[in-house]
Amino acid sequence: MKRTHFRLSPSQKQRLSQAQERCRAAAGGFQASAFVNVGDTIPVDYDNGFLRGHGTQLVEGQLLATVCGVVERVNKLISVRPLRARYNPETGDVVVGRITEVAPKRWKVDVNSRQDAQLLLSAVNLPGGIQRRRTATDELNMRDLFTENDVISAEVQTLHQDGSLHLHTRSLKYGKLENGQLVKVSPYLIKRLKQHFHQLKQYGVQLILGCNGYVWISAIPPSSSEIVAIQPATNQRAAESESRETGAGTPEAQNVEITRDLRERICRIANAVRVLGACGFMIHPDSIVDTYEASLTSGIEPKQMISGEFHVRTVEREADQRSKKGSFKGSARHLYKAVAARGDDQHHQVYVQVSISRSGSTRELCINGPVTSSSADRHSAGGWPHPT
Amino acid sequence: MINLEKPEQARSDGRTANQLRPMVCSRGLLERAHGSARWQQDNTIIMAAVYGPKPVSGKKENPERATLEVLWKTKSGIAGNTEKEAEVTIRRTLEYIVLSSMHPNTGISIVFQVVNDDGAILACAMNAACAALVDAGIPLNGLIVAVSVGVSTHGVVVVDPTKVEEKNFRAHVCLVFPNRPKCAVAGLPAPVGGEPAEHGIISCVTRGAMSVDEYMTCLERGRAASVKITSLIRNSLEHCQLLQVVGVEFGAVAGSPVPGEAFFAIAVLLGP
Repeated sequence: MKRTHFRLSPSQKQRLSQAQERCRAAAGGFQASAFVNVGDTIPVDYDNGFLRGHGTQLVEGQLLATVCGVVERVNKLISVRPLRARYNPETGDVVVGRITEVAPKRWKVDVNSRQDAQLLLSAVNLPGGIQRRRTATDELNMRDLFTENDVISAEVQTLHQDGSLHLHTRSLKYGKLENGQLVKVSPYLIKRLKQHFHQLKQYGVQLILGCNGYVWISAIPPSSSEIVAIQPATNQRAAESESRETGAGTPEAQNVEITRDLRERICRIANAVRVLGACGFMIHPDSIVDTYEASLTSGIEPKQMISGEFHVRTVEREADQRSKKGSFKGSARHLYKAVAARGDDQHHQVYVQVSISRSGSTRELCINGPVTSSSADRHSAGGWPHPT
Repeated sequence: MINLEKPEQARSDGRTANQLRPMVCSRGLLERAHGSARWQQDNTIIMAAVYGPKPVSGKKENPERATLEVLWKTKSGIAGNTEKEAEVTIRRTLEYIVLSSMHPNTGISIVFQVVNDDGAILACAMNAACAALVDAGIPLNGLIVAVSVGVSTHGVVVVDPTKVEEKNFRAHVCLVFPNRPKCAVAGLPAPVGGEPAEHGIISCVTRGAMSVDEYMTCLERGRAASVKITSLIRNSLEHCQLLQVVGVEFGAVAGSPVPGEAFFAIAVLLGP
């Protein structure tokens, strides 16, 4: 994984560390993930019981870490995730990989895992889409389908016990990817979501977030209505980005005319992904669009996005966003206390429902329940709560 | 050379008898390797790369545990018996800390490349291997710390000898201690004769002849030195983790140009 190299001047370093502090403080309420060294005891509530996950071992009744990393707690499951981890595949993950070798009846694909994944000839869709037995001719013509150094998108089919990984491209949305950029980031920055294929219509750019940390950015292939399966946008993300699945491997994808403008947009999005990866933020269409917009408003060229200054600004912007969210939570708490106090006096039941949308751009505070006092107490959705 | 009348007098490079050379540990240097590290003790530099767990051919396969394989590449010339011996020693030491039962039927290989040898190369290699294993995320029982101690012709015990000193010394020994008093190894022998568990030792490779008393002195000095190296290693790992953890959870980029590395240099003075 090539890492971006840049130098920070002393003033930039200072701004960066300040922004880091603010980020850390903003996240403050719940316990920050602790990092442990090998052999460190992991603080565990032994009475409640726990499940021992990866990276831990039980020695003399104490839970010790076996790798250096961050402790992750999910309910009662305690595991330690090493920081510079390779991609750990799970069945059903969407991955983007590069063909490294054409072997008898299979392709070997580099997916940033411990071993190269295997894509069997029987696991791909033959051109023409008909289902038939693979003949010897098919085997000889494997290079016509995928050859070395091709970038493909696929899904993890199975994970065998010896660690070997099998992929399949048995859907029209998977296949060879062309006319785009591949950006490599750390795998843990990409969460497993419902959708990994994103189309940013306003920019004309298609985004494939592989769970293995490989991100593919290209132009939106012209939609062929007969093969597109339209999924309803069920997520509550920013309205601009839709998610649709379309034939990535179809011949239409190759015939897109890429103008200079479109190329610049693709570069900008790719650099936005690089910046987010270097800063260690979650790679998500919202955050990518935010970074993209920020770069546009600052009026900098795509190539300047990978400079130190833009990284520092990105971190500062994130610190601002998190402090805002944090302070909002604080004010909501105060509001709740105030209303509840009043509610107690008047024997009312007050339900405070706080919902913050994913990007943090819209903040809603609704107070439900039989609040019969004056309208000053009633706050409607969509706006900052009035200080009570 | 060491001044006999005044053992505290500086050695040829200006150190006292108990002073270690400045050490630098950096990890994550090689892209293709699963884990890599570079350990530098002044002029002695060695790089370690870890590949694994990965599938191995039938003969080397062990259905119960992972097979460890060590390769030592010299700076120049063909690998001879010394190198083979180093490979075996390192393999045995690492088998002690690597939790190989977590990955049966696989192989873990560690490749060393000597960049420059100015004494204490085996100790450097052990430290580099430990850092590389951590970098690769392979589950370990604990960390190790290695230090080299020499006995001069006049019987003065000297820590971290250079190549010239090693040649002129009567004997030198490479000692490997567990990094943590509480090693997470099940079945570690109980402390003997009231000695605390911190006084455990994993490996010891001696060259030359020394008396028992001199050996005990070497052990003491080595243990004292290892405490300092321990804190260096732990700080370097935590520092690097802190940079990365802050990156993951709270969003920040390391000031160093390549995130994932930690450059940690420290000159250690122990005092007579």
